[in-house]
Amino acid sequence: MDPSVSQLDLEQLNEKDKAELRQFVGNENQRTRVREQTHVLTDICWKKCVTGSVKSSALDKNEQSCLANCVDRFLDVNFMTLKHLSNMRQ
Amino acid sequence: MSSSESVKQALIKQILLESNTANARQLIEKMNENCFEKCVPKPGSSISSSEQTCITQCTEKYMAAWNQVHQAYVTRIRQEVGNNSFSTV
Repeated sequence: MDPSVSQLDLEQLNEKDKAELRQFVGNENQRTRVREQTHVLTDICWKKCVTGSVKSSALDKNEQSCLANCVDRFLDVNFMTLKHLSNMRQ
Repeated sequence: MSSSESVKQALIKQILLESNTANARQLIEKMNENCFEKCVPKPGSSISSSEQTCITQCTEKYMAAWNQVHQAYVTRIRQEVGNNSFSTV
């Protein structure tokens, strides 16, 4: 960690700034989770959708719609699995 | 600036720096993996010029794919939150 941060005196924070920081950290955590999941999904869907050799730096129409479908179907499977497991438990 | 304010700003700055660095690192790692797979099927004694072209295009394409996936994912999350079915994920 940046030494200037470890030297900060956290006692200096007033209640209003503490509350703001809690909010900020909560939002930042959520943003991080979404970005991490995006890394996982991009890896999976790239392998499924970008199958030919790379001839351009842009995605073509088929690749674009394949990627969008890939994300949606992956999440469908996610929800189905959870639903199935919760049914088994009952 | 009050000392509370300056402590807060320093923390926010450091958190953003670390989380953005972690994000960039993950993107680069995946991009590297997938573009190596695509552009260098049979590693030779050096990178050829066609491999170089492929890698340049592939990295840009991978970022485009990341953005497309991110957009689709965020849209879906919003939808599921709207349907109240997101509590399980």
